[in-house]
Amino acid sequence: MKWQRKDILAIEDMSVEEIRHILHTAKVMKEILMRPIKKLPTLKGKSVVNLFYEASTRTRTSFEMAAKVLGADTTSIAVAQSSVSKGESLYDTAKTIQAMRADVVILRHSSSGAANFLADILDPAVINAGDGQHAHPTQALLDIFTMQEHLGELEGKNVVIVGDVLHSRVARSNAWCLQKMGVNVTFAGPPTLVPAEMAGLGVKLTHDLDSALPGADIVMALRLQLERQKSGLFPSLREYSHLYGLTTERLKKTGKQSIVLHPGPMNRGVEISDDVADGVDALIERQVTNGVAIRMALIYLLIGGSSNVVA
Amino acid sequence: MWWLKDVWVIDPSQKISSSQDVLVKDGKVLEISSSMTEEEVLAKAQGEAVETINGKGKFVFPGLIDVHTHLREPGQEDKEDILSGSRAAVRGGFTTILAMANTQPPLDSRALVEFVLRQGERAGYAHVLPIGTVTKGMQGSELVEMADMKAGGAAAFSDDGKNIQNAEVMRLALEYAKLTGFPIISHCEDKYLAGEGLMRRGLTSARMGLRGIPASAESVIVARDLLIAEETGGKLHLAHISTAESVELIRQAKARGVDVTAEVNPHHLIFCDEEIRITDTVLKVNPPLGSPRDREILIAGLSDGTIDMIATDHAPHTQAEKARPFAEAPFGIASLETALSAVWQYLVKPGKLSFDRVIEAWSVSPAQRFGLLGGTLKPGTAADMVLFDPDFTEEIVPAKLVSKARNTPFLGKTMQGFPVMVWVEGRLVQRDRTVL
Repeated sequence: MKWQRKDILAIEDMSVEEIRHILHTAKVMKEILMRPIKKLPTLKGKSVVNLFYEASTRTRTSFEMAAKVLGADTTSIAVAQSSVSKGESLYDTAKTIQAMRADVVILRHSSSGAANFLADILDPAVINAGDGQHAHPTQALLDIFTMQEHLGELEGKNVVIVGDVLHSRVARSNAWCLQKMGVNVTFAGPPTLVPAEMAGLGVKLTHDLDSALPGADIVMALRLQLERQKSGLFPSLREYSHLYGLTTERLKKTGKQSIVLHPGPMNRGVEISDDVADGVDALIERQVTNGVAIRMALIYLLIGGSSNVVA
Repeated sequence: MWWLKDVWVIDPSQKISSSQDVLVKDGKVLEISSSMTEEEVLAKAQGEAVETINGKGKFVFPGLIDVHTHLREPGQEDKEDILSGSRAAVRGGFTTILAMANTQPPLDSRALVEFVLRQGERAGYAHVLPIGTVTKGMQGSELVEMADMKAGGAAAFSDDGKNIQNAEVMRLALEYAKLTGFPIISHCEDKYLAGEGLMRRGLTSARMGLRGIPASAESVIVARDLLIAEETGGKLHLAHISTAESVELIRQAKARGVDVTAEVNPHHLIFCDEEIRITDTVLKVNPPLGSPRDREILIAGLSDGTIDMIATDHAPHTQAEKARPFAEAPFGIASLETALSAVWQYLVKPGKLSFDRVIEAWSVSPAQRFGLLGGTLKPGTAADMVLFDPDFTEEIVPAKLVSKARNTPFLGKTMQGFPVMVWVEGRLVQRDRTVL
């Protein structure tokens, strides 16, 4: 297909064709990444700027690595907190980066919609590396890439996403992406974290994890933000873990050799038991590699237009 | 002297809605009658020059009274000031505006109230009447000197922008305000339910990952304040009602005889939460836009009188403030210049509201509730008056706006139906959309 998109902001507005094209490109990128000499001249002379308003080592490094393998120059700007209170607005910072002739701006920000906001005002490509509770498209794409490696075609498969979906951009982006690929998605968690309006994403909702597990091909546990307890969203880690923690015993209910995914970092003993987490660890390594491949694919598709590594 | 010929006069205070001739002389309405000959008019002019306006196809009504505007002066003059705000008012058909107290510092003393009053007089466009705060510093604990502030020219009391969370303080305010005869204007919003919310909680907020404000954040405080007003016999006015549940609560309270009135903002009658896009901070407003069902029930409530008046909640902000990610942009829509036109175009023309009801709710109802001059064209009263041309078409562009703010959802849109002449005390202050 001919790539037309200027930015990667959210999965919600992407076509299935685009998603498949990204996954296909990522496959080629992964082969390149696995070579002993992994450096391409493809994006020589292009500059990629990481603009991170939230702490993140893994995602930022992943983008940096992806850009470097493709031959681009990278700069990382870590802003401790949203700069609004400190004078310079996101608008001003972004305009400055544009003036320095960046070709891609990768943004992580605590406000939902920040990446869309940036894309509206900037000429360079914008990739959303997570905005508030809205979207985290590259995480969803790498999750799905990993799922495909294990299960092949995903259509008709069943995925259960457990935890704090209300506040999760990972859950939202995964829900959109999986459903576009023909996957049945169920959100599971307590009513305070899986409220009725989440049905707006088109997924099935349940508060009873055990009833959702039979037939699940993939179970994804979300990281529980421990400060949510203080806001009264759940009474205790003990009760949460009892009701929604993934244990080997509980996972037997799927009746399958289900895959367990976690966007990391894990709270062992809370949303996931130690023994399950050990199994997940192996997968996490693969996800990290796949994350670089997905991000290489996206950067390449956005600004590598004239070259053809993929051909 | 002005002679408006064959114009459709809407004056709910006199139960007039018919084609008439209107004479204005010496700053006052002289006469409204269905037939006047040139000789009669010249005789009444007593030698004064007569300017004749052909009013065919147009409407004349009392200058609108907006009981809810934020003029930002003192303290936030980068957003708006009393001069620019009162010019925006007359451009939009408003001849009296009540200025909310949440300035910096808040209008919590007689000196500040008098300052706003004086600035309004100096500007010389719409009548600007200050609303004082209910509590000192808008901190929600100690009452202001209400009697002294009334003496200084305050027209009502409100901590608008903030809800009075402490119910006992609200009770005391409703009691103490009896000394003034003024209503307490309540901004109903439970701060715990509203939390850090950005838009109405629902399918749309969940989809976009924008933190939601449940409808109950408003309606639980509406219920609370209605009960306290009932118990105390205090005078309550509910600002910017936005939920179906609130409308029902008000309807029940009125049936029980509670001394309550309520207002609704045009944007809650026109837009809904489903229309919000994640980059569209212009529709980020507090209270947030409700569901399509809320919108229907608000329109019905305004039609049947459960909701007494329309008010703009004109909330000007700078472009830089609104040009931020959704979570960081301030709440508010600037609407003085477009509100009447929007109500005409989106509600009156499609037949959802009668124009007579709109004029009643935006002139005589606020005048009666807040004890204000205006809201009528009775002969002998000051000629605060609007000529409205339903065919006048204008594209809403920054260059034409006289408010400092651009945060209107109608920017770039072409609208039809505008006030084309506005008089304040018989003095023409706006003609053909230009403020004089």
